[in-house]
Parts: sequence; C-alpha cells; structure tokens
Amino acid sequence: MATTDSVFESSSPSVRPGTELLVLLAAMTPEQREQILANLATSFPADGLVIASPDELPTDSEAPFRMIAAPASETSWTLTAADFINAYQLAEKNEARAILMLSRESGSLGPSALRDLANAVLAGSTDLAVPCYDLPPRTGLVNSAIFYPLGRALFASPVRFPLAVDLGLSLRMAERLATAAHRLTALNQAETPLWPVNEATVAGFAIGQFDVGLRTLPQPGGPDLNTILPLLTGSLFSDIEAKAAFWQRSRQLPPAEKNRPMSPASPPEAATDIAPMLQAFRLAYTNLNEIWSLVLPPNSLVGLKRLSTSDAAAFHMPEGLWARIVFDFVLAYRLRTINRGHLLGSLIPLYLAWVASHVNVTASGVDPASHIETVAAAFEADKTYLVSRWRWPDRFNP
Amino acid sequence: MQPMFAVLLQSAPNQASRPLSADNGSIWHHMADALYQSLDRILSLLIAVLPGILAFIVALAVFTLIGMVVSSLLRRGLTVARFDEHLARSRGGLDWAPSTSPTAVIARVTFWASVLLGLVLGVSAFDASYSTATTLPSSLLPYLTRLVGAAVLLVAGTLIARFLARSVLIGAVNEQLQYARFLSLGIKWLVLVLTAAMVLDHLQMGGNIVGLAFGILFGGIVLTLALAVGLGSRDLVSRSLESHAEQSGERGVAPAASSTSGSAESIRHF
Repeated sequence: MATTDSVFESSSPSVRPGTELLVLLAAMTPEQREQILANLATSFPADGLVIASPDELPTDSEAPFRMIAAPASETSWTLTAADFINAYQLAEKNEARAILMLSRESGSLGPSALRDLANAVLAGSTDLAVPCYDLPPRTGLVNSAIFYPLGRALFASPVRFPLAVDLGLSLRMAERLATAAHRLTALNQAETPLWPVNEATVAGFAIGQFDVGLRTLPQPGGPDLNTILPLLTGSLFSDIEAKAAFWQRSRQLPPAEKNRPMSPASPPEAATDIAPMLQAFRLAYTNLNEIWSLVLPPNSLVGLKRLSTSDAAAFHMPEGLWARIVFDFVLAYRLRTINRGHLLGSLIPLYLAWVASHVNVTASGVDPASHIETVAAAFEADKTYLVSRWRWPDRFNP
Repeated sequence: MQPMFAVLLQSAPNQASRPLSADNGSIWHHMADALYQSLDRILSLLIAVLPGILAFIVALAVFTLIGMVVSSLLRRGLTVARFDEHLARSRGGLDWAPSTSPTAVIARVTFWASVLLGLVLGVSAFDASYSTATTLPSSLLPYLTRLVGAAVLLVAGTLIARFLARSVLIGAVNEQLQYARFLSLGIKWLVLVLTAAMVLDHLQMGGNIVGLAFGILFGGIVLTLALAVGLGSRDLVSRSLESHAEQSGERGVAPAASSTSGSAESIRHF
C-alpha cells in the first residue's frame, strides 16, 4: 500500500537497531488505540518505541511498549502549536531520535504506512515525512482548493496534504516547529495550526512524501465551516506573510505530478446536490458585492457576476479566476484592506462556489485529481501577479 | 408694558414740535456713537483675544515643526540601526508592511504626540489670555472642548456602526439568512441613532428631549422588530429558520448527504 514518493525519496530506508521512536497519539477511543498499537507492534521492535498518549494508559503490565502520559490537546482533528511543543518536549525528555505524530482515526493507516513515515525520519535522510492520503473524490476540499495550490505555487512544494494530521519528524524538525509554536503560544494562540511543510521548506530541511493509502480523516466536532475556514486560512495567510522574503524569490517548481490514484469515483447516480452552495454564493453576491469590491479587481468582479447568473448545470468557476481571487485575498490580508475577520468571512461563499464548480467538473467525467492539478497549475501560472502586487500594491490593477 | 406706552404717549407732542433737520442730525449722531462704541468694544475684545490666538498658532506651528524634525530624525536613525529587522528577528521573522513597519509607526506616533502637545500648550496659552479678556463669554472654551469630544464620539460611533453592520452582514450571509441586509441595516441605524443621542447629550443640546426621543425611537425600533418577528414575519422567519436548519447540516464539516436524493454523495471540506 505505502509507496515512497518518487519526487523526494527513492526507497524506504530501514531502521537501525536500538533507535528510539516517540509515537505521540491524539486522544481517541480505546478501540482506535488498540488498532494503532497492534499496527505499531507489527511494524517496530518494542524496545525502541515509546508511546505517548493523553488517554488513560492501560494497566496491563504485559503491554508490549513503554507507554507514557502526554498532555491532552483541546483540538483533536488537526495538529496545533501546542501539539508540536508537547512532541518536542516529550522527545527530549525521553531522548527519542524521531517522532511519529498520529491523529485520531489513524487506526486506518496500515503497518507499512507507519513504517514508511517513521523509517524515513529515523534513518536521517528526511526531516519531515508527510503522508499522501488516498481520499474519496469529494473529501478534503479546502486542502484541494486553497492549501495545496498555494503551497505548490509559493513554496514550490508538491506535498499534497500540507495540513496532514500524521507526521514523521526528525528531532531538529521538531525543535524548529516547537520554536515556531512557542511564538504562537506566547500570543495565546496555542490551538492555531502550524504549517510544517512551509517551515521545513524555509529551513531547507528534507521533506519526504509517502503514499499511505486510504485514511479516514478526523472531522471537527463542534464548530462549522464558517468558524474553521477563517481560522485555517487566516493561519495560512499569516504564515505566507511571515515568509514573504522566501517565496518571493523564484524557485524551481517540481515536475507535474502524475495523477495519484484516488478512491473510485461515485457512480453517476450518486450526484452531489450543489444547489445549496450555489444559493449561498448567489445570496452572497447580492449582499457582499460591496465588500468584495474592496478586495477584488474589476476583472474578477465581472467574472463573479457572470457566475452568479449561470445555471447550476453549467456552473464553472474558471481556475484562473479562483487563483486570482485567493491571491487577492492574501494581498488584502497583508494590506489589511478591511478587517481580517470580515475578509476571511467573505471568502467562504467564494470557496463554496469553487466547491460547486469542482463537483460539476468532476461529475462531467474529469478525474478529480486531474482537476486539482489544473487548479494548482493556475496558481503557479499566476504567481507573478501575487509577487508584483505584493511589492507594488498601489499599481493600477484592472 | 403699560408704563412704556404711557411714556411714549407723553413724549409724542414734544417730538412733533422739534425741527425735522435737528431730529435727523441727532439720530445720526446717536447711531454713529452707538456704532463707534460697538466697534470699539469689538476691537478691544479682538485685541484682548489676539495674543491668545497668536500664542495658540505659534505653539501649534512650533511643535508641529519640532514633531516633523524629531520624526524625521527617528525614522532615519531607526532605519540606519535596522530596527525593523532586529524586531522582526526577535518577534519570529514577522514581515511588516512598509506602511505599518515599526519604524514608520514610531515616527508617526512621535509626530502626532508633538502636535498634540502643541495643541495642549496652545490651548493653555489661549486660556491664560482669555481669563484676562473678561468680555469673552465664559462658556466658550469649555464648549469648544465639548465640541471636540462630540466629534470624537461621532467618528467612533460611525466606525463602530460600520464594523458591526459588516460583521452582521457577513455572518448572516454565511448563515444563509435571506434578511441579512435588513439585519445589517437595522444594526447600523441602531448604533447611529445611539451615537447621535450621545453626541447631542454630550453637547448638552436639547435637554431631556433628546433622551426622550432616543428612548422612543430605540424602543420603537426594537418593538417593531419584535412585532415583525413575532407576528408579521412569522411565516417568513420560520421558513428562513427551517431552510437554515436544513442547510446547516449540509454545510457542516461533518459528512452530509444532499437533501434531494437519498443516494447523494457526501462532501467533506476537511
């Protein structure tokens, strides 16, 4: 199942005997934990492994691994700044050479996937091992619409899931992430997500991407899209702003990635109803046009006007338009054109319009992975626009 | 009133017996005297206030000039010392926008602090000269201060009204409420009405009428909204809420199925 990404790694290095790996588990149900422990038992020798878990530790003295308590994280569906601090502190305390962070539902990761992620960082050839999940076509759409294309265009990173919930970290990578996380915790933002791929790219660390097969991604429990999307995009835009000196330099973009196998597409009758998303977009167009006009250039506004009048069946947001919209929002975030909360809130209906368009495109027979690559390519092609306006924001922009 | 009429009636025969030219000369003489006296009073007042105004202008101009010089020196000094870079390094590589760089902010704050100081000293100088000018209405200066306070209140109220209106508009649109704009406008005008009442109260204009009118207006708006929701728009609101309840499931981050088809495929945003 797990294959090493040819872009970064040619083979999975083997673990040296006597090495120690810290596995940091998120809070999860006992059944999930049992499944993960079973997978770890088949993947690694017990003597070189330390398991840290925030849940109640099993009292069974015959447990194959050394188990320690870890601080509980408030956010359980993604890795936050607090998680990275905990991971580094535990690794230092236990003198671990590498860390494997596993989130909720990671029982769905097979033993070979765990081996690949851990061995890469234990062997020292990779500082950050990132999984490439095999998800159903209409899953992880925020990642496909914003995170992946932005990471690819700005940081020349082919990592398909920049906000992956399972990671392999070398000790120096963990230290760097903990340092970045400390800055956030100092600002009372311990539950803000970090962007490990961007950190590793800026630091010049080696990144490895590994196909890990099917994975059930944990979903946020309480808050809805209206809360989480601004949180994540705000965090990413801040990271982009902080690393502007790095990404403004032109970089060698990785070769176009071969289409990764995705889960089989749904049968034609299992269509997704895009009407609610279109309704949300049209309602926003009639009400938020005044706010969008502060952020977007006239060309994009004309594109949105056309979209607002198009039929549901023919609804398609051009990839170039979406790239331009996201870039303009990044710029407005940097320039504080309007209040940042308002800015990110007004991005939600536009994102829903992209989702509706993506659903329509994939329903017409286009491979979802291929469409996502097309979107990423549009972001890459338009990067010069972002760089130019970042440097000279007051120039004429039709 | 009656004694005044009596005096007028008594003086009328005497006036008729006087020659017309002598009357005209006397009237013009009296008018000229009155005008000269008025002019004299105005000029005296101006002469009394002029040093104060001059002191105010000089203080403001001098401190503005000092502010410009100090701000410019600070800007150059901090740029040479690479203050922004040092701060960015200590704060974790934050990249500042040119218009909001720490150096620019410090220079701007210094300049405006200097202007403010000049303003305060100017007003003090004016106040000192005003106390000698006894003819100046005693309530003018305090009222000017109130005027500034009212202007600040007005600006702050307008900004808050716009911020809240936008917040409500975006929030309501994302919740897919059809009456998002209506809500946003309602909030905006409520805050503006509140601001107007506060400004008038601060200026001590209108007395109790403002408070009374504000209470009636504010209460009226709230009552109207309550009645609209409770009676008039009951169906509209219930339809909107039902539609929202249906859609919230679909738009949530958890997997959701389309409402139109049992076999519809789920969408996961994360």
